[in-house]
Amino acid sequence: MRRPQKTCPFCETRVHFIDYKDDRTLGRFITDHGKILPSRLSGVCARHQRQLSTAIKRARYLAIIPYIRGLQA
Amino acid sequence: MTRQYEAVYVFNSTLEDAAINDKLGRFHGLLGNPADLQVNHWGRRQLAYPIGRAESGYYVVARFGAETAALPEYERAIKLDDGIIRHLITLYEHELGAPPMSEEELAMAARRREADEDEDEE
Repeated sequence: MRRPQKTCPFCETRVHFIDYKDDRTLGRFITDHGKILPSRLSGVCARHQRQLSTAIKRARYLAIIPYIRGLQA
Repeated sequence: MTRQYEAVYVFNSTLEDAAINDKLGRFHGLLGNPADLQVNHWGRRQLAYPIGRAESGYYVVARFGAETAALPEYERAIKLDDGIIRHLITLYEHELGAPPMSEEELAMAARRREADEDEDEE
């Protein structure tokens, strides 16, 4: 059975470039452990998923969002 | 060739504000003090993970247009500076406008979608 197509949240809001400094937006697209959420779960289109992955990696480097989270003993 | 750049500096949070402004002045001087320079101080904030011994950093975002030839020297000065924990220089690609998604914008998008659908029906 086919599920209804999810729409890309970035296309919906007419975002052209994803900002790597916006931790609140990026935070919605990472898992509890800090991994990048796959587009099949988030519904992000391929074009924005590529931008998102770059943005998340930049934000991680600048310590705006963590590389890993929730794994401390 | 002139390009638009965006630089993010993460300074050691133990530095005085005057010292930070001093360093910023020196770096931007290497670029020939660009006329369209915009500096946005985020201030001290907690790092998402400790870098060395630092737990927090002073973030500064700068946007400027600069000659590509001037950049290596500028970046070298940043790398050699001990007061900077992290830095990132990227091409500034926001000219089309990419507002961060807020609740109002999501609501606006929903309204726009409804309006589009209404037009389709006519």
